[in-house]
Amino acid sequence: MKRKLRYGALGGGLILALLLPQVIGIVYTNILVQFAIDAVYALSLNLLLGYGGLLSFGHAMFFGAGAYATALVLTHLPGFPLLAVVLVGACAAAFLALILSPLLVRVSGTAFAMLTLAFGQLFYVFSLKYREVTRGEDGIAGFPTPSLSLPGIGTIDLSVPAHFYYFALALLALCAWAMWFLTRTPFGSVIVGIRDNPQRIDYLGFKVAHSKALLLILSALFAGIAGSLFALFQNLVSVDGALHVFVSFKPIMMAYIGGIGSFFGPILGSGLFHLLEELTSRYVRHVDLIKGVVFILVVLFAPGGIVGVYRRAKARIGGWMATRSGEGKTP
Amino acid sequence: MLETQGLCHDFGGLQVLSHVHLQVKEGERHAIIGPNGAGKTTLFNIITGTYRPRKGKILFRGKDITGARPHALTRQGMGRSFQILSTLPRLTAFQNLRLAILSKRGVRFNLVRSVDRMKSIQEETEEVLRQIRLEEERDIPAAYLSHGKHRSLEVGLALATDPDLVMLDEPTSGMSRDETHHAVELIRSLTEGKTMVIIEHDMDVVFSLADRITVLHHGEVLACGTPQQIRDNPAVRDAYLGDLER
Repeated sequence: MKRKLRYGALGGGLILALLLPQVIGIVYTNILVQFAIDAVYALSLNLLLGYGGLLSFGHAMFFGAGAYATALVLTHLPGFPLLAVVLVGACAAAFLALILSPLLVRVSGTAFAMLTLAFGQLFYVFSLKYREVTRGEDGIAGFPTPSLSLPGIGTIDLSVPAHFYYFALALLALCAWAMWFLTRTPFGSVIVGIRDNPQRIDYLGFKVAHSKALLLILSALFAGIAGSLFALFQNLVSVDGALHVFVSFKPIMMAYIGGIGSFFGPILGSGLFHLLEELTSRYVRHVDLIKGVVFILVVLFAPGGIVGVYRRAKARIGGWMATRSGEGKTP
Repeated sequence: MLETQGLCHDFGGLQVLSHVHLQVKEGERHAIIGPNGAGKTTLFNIITGTYRPRKGKILFRGKDITGARPHALTRQGMGRSFQILSTLPRLTAFQNLRLAILSKRGVRFNLVRSVDRMKSIQEETEEVLRQIRLEEERDIPAAYLSHGKHRSLEVGLALATDPDLVMLDEPTSGMSRDETHHAVELIRSLTEGKTMVIIEHDMDVVFSLADRITVLHHGEVLACGTPQQIRDNPAVRDAYLGDLER
């Protein structure tokens, strides 16, 4: 019964998601695309933060690696197939993580946060100065967005907003599922163990450094997919849009607001973030101020984020119901 | 099985161990006793790879393991429990032990299977849970276990990888009389046929469990022998046992 209900809800949600762009128009459809991109990005950060206990202040370098790789490939190799471009973006970010991992996995806590911040800024400045390839502040723009050709089904033109929305949503679903599955594997449980007590994991016979390196690479891979989607969607990749330190902070705020103690929290966080942005930008000029205040309020009063509040409310209502029915039984 | 040759270690000039020779034979239960600050836990830390000794050598099954990392030693068949509880606090008792079973089976970087669906691993974990009598606490996070149960989990983690050499650092510390009794029986039955080195303050536990005893005092080996020899040793009586038995 419960299963049926769940599948029903899932099916209903899917139909709603598919019909949405027809109802809400181009502007809102594009906001939904941004939501999907940021949701993938925030989920990838939460793999590190929520599961591995590693706070990265430089996640933008992986997002940026995916975005720049995508832009460069499409600029210099026109006609490259779409899914291959996304794969190149993912691999570029993962490769960057692979190179940095020998340094990054040695540390944790504050040192990890500072080292990632340093590397993030390094890549920001590097891309700003290396104009020949990255075109500095102007960024790379005007590259063509390839169509998605699915063998046996046909080609889908992604310059239509609704089509891009479907594509982004499908990638979000795929990435979310892959990352969720990752947390259920033996490797996923080792990672959670490292978060709790790295020394014990060492004494149980696992190589802590190697496991952290693999986690970093996988997290970067998904951040790279988000960056690649971003490049395809914006058609403009610049240092401020893809590598700025604010780009590093964004998924941290989203994950926190949604709840780092849960897997799906960051998706909710991304949703709330964009909802907030949309609702406030019409009335006030200082959108970031409001986001900041919300972030502070969540950190202070709801450290478990939206999911934490929901769980607490559920537990309280459950307890209340139990005492009520208990009272009813006593004569 | 295990041998240390002239181990020396110091922390910032403070000599903690000096020329410690220790020999543990295969299959024996070896207790290390001594007053607080004698260097017992430091000796454990050096043998199990937490630190590298300043001087000296450690042999495990005749092989030099000086300076080897803990995970390498665990894979060679060493298991260790800590005096200060070192479990995975936010994971349940079951999840804690399952990690040990995964390691024992060499499942480390598996990314393609759900761990909940690995039937033989689930079953073996349930079995270990039963052996250390934590079935009822299966789904309680380690941090919320009672002290006695938490201790059992700590010892269980050291044993679940099925090591040949078990190193237990005060496994009954902080337990009530009753809990201690149960813990000793549990340790006795679970380490059957294994080699064990145990640090212990409770002399009843030491004398009932150990085949041989080494007494450490100020970082040096004061005496080594059977429980009877240790009891009769005048130097040991003076330094340590005397005031306990009076």
